[in-house]
Amino acid sequence: MNYLPGQTWSSQPAQHHHQFASASYNTDPSAHTSQPIVTGTSVIAIRFKDGVMMATDTLASYGSLARFMDIKRIEKVGENTILGASGDMSDWQYVQHTLDKLMLREQNENDGHILSPSQIYAYLARVMYNRRSKMDPIWNSFVLAGVDPKDGSPFLGYVDLLGTTYSASTIATGFGLHLAQPLLRKAVEGREDQIEEEEAKRILEECMKVLFYRDARSLNRFVIATVTKEGSKISEPYSVPTSWGFAEMLRGYGPQTQ
Amino acid sequence: MFLTRSEYDRGVNTFSPEGRLFQVEYALEAIKLGSTTVGISTKEGVVLGVEKRVQSSLLESSSIEKIMEIDRHLGAAMSGLTADARTMIEHARVTSQNHAFTYDEEIKVESATQAVCDLALRFGESTEDDEAMMSRPFGVALLIAGIDEKGPQLYHADPSGTFVRYDAKAIGSGSEGAQGELQDKYRKDMSLKEASILTLRVLKQVMEEKLDENNVQLATVVPRVAKDGRPSGQFAIMPVEELKKVIEEM
Amino acid sequence: MLGLQPGSSTVVPTSAPVGHRFEPYDSNGGSIAAVCGKDFCIIASDTRQSTGYSIQTRYKPKVFRLNDKATLATNGFAADAEAMVSRIRQRLEWYRHSHGRSMPLHAIARMISTILYGKRFFPYYVYNILGGLDEEGKGAVYSFDPVGSYEREFCRAAGAAQSLIQPFLDNQIMFKNQHSTPEHTVPKPGEMSLPDVLKIVMDSFTSATERHIEVGDGLEMFVVRTPPSAQGEAIGAASVDLKAMGGVEAVGGEDEQEEGAVMVIRRELKKD
Repeated sequence: MNYLPGQTWSSQPAQHHHQFASASYNTDPSAHTSQPIVTGTSVIAIRFKDGVMMATDTLASYGSLARFMDIKRIEKVGENTILGASGDMSDWQYVQHTLDKLMLREQNENDGHILSPSQIYAYLARVMYNRRSKMDPIWNSFVLAGVDPKDGSPFLGYVDLLGTTYSASTIATGFGLHLAQPLLRKAVEGREDQIEEEEAKRILEECMKVLFYRDARSLNRFVIATVTKEGSKISEPYSVPTSWGFAEMLRGYGPQTQ
Repeated sequence: MFLTRSEYDRGVNTFSPEGRLFQVEYALEAIKLGSTTVGISTKEGVVLGVEKRVQSSLLESSSIEKIMEIDRHLGAAMSGLTADARTMIEHARVTSQNHAFTYDEEIKVESATQAVCDLALRFGESTEDDEAMMSRPFGVALLIAGIDEKGPQLYHADPSGTFVRYDAKAIGSGSEGAQGELQDKYRKDMSLKEASILTLRVLKQVMEEKLDENNVQLATVVPRVAKDGRPSGQFAIMPVEELKKVIEEM
Repeated sequence: MLGLQPGSSTVVPTSAPVGHRFEPYDSNGGSIAAVCGKDFCIIASDTRQSTGYSIQTRYKPKVFRLNDKATLATNGFAADAEAMVSRIRQRLEWYRHSHGRSMPLHAIARMISTILYGKRFFPYYVYNILGGLDEEGKGAVYSFDPVGSYEREFCRAAGAAQSLIQPFLDNQIMFKNQHSTPEHTVPKPGEMSLPDVLKIVMDSFTSATERHIEVGDGLEMFVVRTPPSAQGEAIGAASVDLKAMGGVEAVGGEDEQEEGAVMVIRRELKKD
């Protein structure tokens, strides 16, 4: 539990300390997440003709150290919803656990009701806001995407550690907010209902490449998740070709020393 | 097979096999021992009247308080264990002030009555998260009079937590005769003055002593406009001199 | 709990990593405004939500229909605003169940004040403007600060472009700094017609969009009035055909909606 400076591992599961944090009265600041430790970078997502699509890389960094190279930052929540996370990875695992419990409870009701993406989003937003109001935030930015199983309407929403929420046809977190969001808006805004699945995939791949070029905490190994009214699928991790030929000409990239 | 009646007397929240709560029913009996209290609602306002039983010539009759103000536009008259009524009226007053503070408006007569009745049922064994509850039902009934946007109103609230609205109502020891008299003499279009006189006449009929300004008390709620422009009332206990005049006119 | 430990009055640099204190607030930009007339009220906002220099979304409503006679505009920290509006809606429903009628506007205003003051030491970082019709059917605007101070006014602007919009409204709605001449008498505030006020509100927001980076994308103007159907013969604000101006029925809030009581007109604003 008590990480020594520089210690990146623990014999206990990372989410363990939240048992202390969830106590209603807690004056111990060490039980609160006061800064993210192991972090994931951008999540990017767009709407397209048949639904929604989302991409994240598979890296979890420990400061500037690329610590874990095969971490899943997009997970399914039920059959019609996916959730992508950036920020603290142990908080992310805690949220996965919380949502797993929620979905299990709902399934056990066995009443034929399936939580829609917007309902899961509303729940997650309340969890995030309640924790920020206890001054014990869940240190993440989430993008929740899905297609309503009843009416087939697409949903794309953002919620962060402050409980701030919004929906839009393109969403990006972290570095992606600065690098990918302008590209996504240019490619998607106003064309949401025209973009085919193939084009949506190309747009996200292009953005993941740009992010890899300029975000030092990113990796050219990412997954793309898609939700349509047929359901959701998350790809196996893969890379896109990059070219560094230009670097030969530039001081600072190539072999030059001065 | 069934336990005897007396065994269902014990638990205040235990139903008898016939589906009755004896302690509540006994509480209702306690009111029938109380002094007679009358209320009449008219288009011009509401009047409340009580009999003060002056037990001794040494007793200071003005110290008997059976009509109380709840808020500027609301008042209540009681019959039964008057000590219990203080708890209820205290609750009504707090509810009323809270409402005014939170909503910047006067509470409705029905809402204030409802608040009192909510309290009336808080007897029995308390559960863990409940605050301390009362050990027995209230032994008092109230006539709550007031004016709000729905006009002049008179409510009867009893220990069972039930409340009913009346044009005219009598409670207490002389209530049977008094209610009959009210039934005969009440008219929808009577003036508040006529209602005051009727109240006194009804009280006079059922009182053992000779009625005078020392052994009865009257209170009225007359129309007023609230600061938000809605109809409201002004509650006032009638001063002895004024009461004397009404008695003379009777 | 956080910050300096008692006894360590001077800040001593340590080698331990400096933990940054969690900041529970954000400012989400945008602006709101409300103007009332004799028998109507207009409550407006832009629809952009931003943080710093980033636009988060181009459409996130900041104005909420509460019931047939009350509409609330919120501005500041969006997460607080959302939490607050759902608390207000819950209270309105409880009130309707226990008192058998919808809460009147001035009571909503006082209740909002108590809700805000209830969090005086961890405030909702939200500026509120409540608009609607009072008990006499007259237009009314109530404005609040984040900890519950409030007053009734004819018009009010708040948010990022308050300093741009309020002086304009003071001049055009309150007729401040206008002087009567033999040819022209300055009118009294609060007597302007609904179409005239709508024009002023639209101009306020197009101007704010031009000069303030946090304002833009879309405009929503809620109009609260006595519905045309409730009037024998539609007069005043009720006679204005809002549908012809692109107005649609506003939804949400207590579901005892009378047709035409609260309508919303949506316009585009510049997106740059």
